[in-house]
Amino acid sequence: MSPDGNLEILMAAYQGGDFDAATMLIEQLSPQLHRFFVGQLASRKDADDLLQETWLLIHKVRHTYRAGEPVMPWFYGIARHVRVDHYRKTSRVALYEEQVEAPSELPAPMPETTSSTAEMAELLAPLPESQREVILMLKVEGMSLDEVARATSSTVGSVKQKAHRGYERLRERLTAMGLSQVRGGGLS
Amino acid sequence: MKEREIDELLARVAKDAPAVSPALLESIAGSIKLSMRPVRPMLPAWLLTAGLILIAAAVALAGAARAGLYGIERLTAFERGLIFPALVLLLWAAAAEFVASMVPGSRRRIHPGVLLAISCLALMGIFGGVFRDYHTTHFVSAGIACLVAGLAHAIPVAFLSWLLLRRGFAVNPVAAGAVAGTLAGLAGVTMLELHCPNFQLLHILVWHTAVLPVAAAAGALLAWALQLRAGFRYR
Repeated sequence: MSPDGNLEILMAAYQGGDFDAATMLIEQLSPQLHRFFVGQLASRKDADDLLQETWLLIHKVRHTYRAGEPVMPWFYGIARHVRVDHYRKTSRVALYEEQVEAPSELPAPMPETTSSTAEMAELLAPLPESQREVILMLKVEGMSLDEVARATSSTVGSVKQKAHRGYERLRERLTAMGLSQVRGGGLS
Repeated sequence: MKEREIDELLARVAKDAPAVSPALLESIAGSIKLSMRPVRPMLPAWLLTAGLILIAAAVALAGAARAGLYGIERLTAFERGLIFPALVLLLWAAAAEFVASMVPGSRRRIHPGVLLAISCLALMGIFGGVFRDYHTTHFVSAGIACLVAGLAHAIPVAFLSWLLLRRGFAVNPVAAGAVAGTLAGLAGVTMLELHCPNFQLLHILVWHTAVLPVAAAAGALLAWALQLRAGFRYR
């Protein structure tokens, strides 16, 4: 059975109120969704929060999944909505919040990013958001063009164009950085 | 640098991405456990699309019948054969797109802006080919009356459509609002074509067609305002 077929069965069971199926879905899909957020935000803490928020929303709107439809675009469509919503809210909060200088006696905060999250973020940093998410879904998560088009509420043609432009930018950046440096590990 | 090399690099970076903490997964599972119960999946897309077309047609027909079916009575069979099938086709496209916008991960065939543009241009093309009266008697007063009547019929269509799709979830509320507005606007135009006996070309081109962009803009604006309100409430 294909992985997507397995997910479809789990989704049907989840809609039927099976908690074990929900747990299996959470375990199977969370690493992918977490990586999707990490690739866009580079902060582990933010990615954790977004993952939690995404699952709460998935649970709330689980009735909108229809048997026979591809599962991954449904999950990624919701994850993308949560990310966009989060970005909008944090921008709004930042606009209203006063900048307060941190007292000097407080200890320095623990770094939120690990080297691999920073590496992924740095690699994809020069790309606009729309190209970054398409590259992440297509090349990192291995979704098909049709699935990415469904997840991003766009057409296959538009996804192809974004992926092509994203690759061009990545190629320019990596060539400028020097391929040997990249291959040797460590992007900067 | 070749595409394959970029692929390999992305795969390597992805492989090294940090694992999700088991405690977080447990916490997620725990947070949904209490509200776990069976849910009824949404109706099939074709059924929802048919429902939306039925709502639009019923409201347009009822409104025109109440105000008088003067427009359709004056139209020739050829003109009816051009205008109404085109309206049904556009209604179907808008209804299908509205359903898709309310179900995450649905296949999208057309961008909301393109749908609106195509609808306006198609109707203007048909009106331009059918009507030959170039007078502009009472252009503004008669036009505003038609625009208001069209929009007044778009409102119940938008409301009933929302009722039908209220269990859905729009991943892009503004786009969904624009598509809903386009659908409601098409119902308004249908009502005007059934009712309005004013066949002056400019009147129909400007005021009848204007129902579409005004309704679509109102739908998008309303969705944006609701989204903003929800965001502030969330804070």
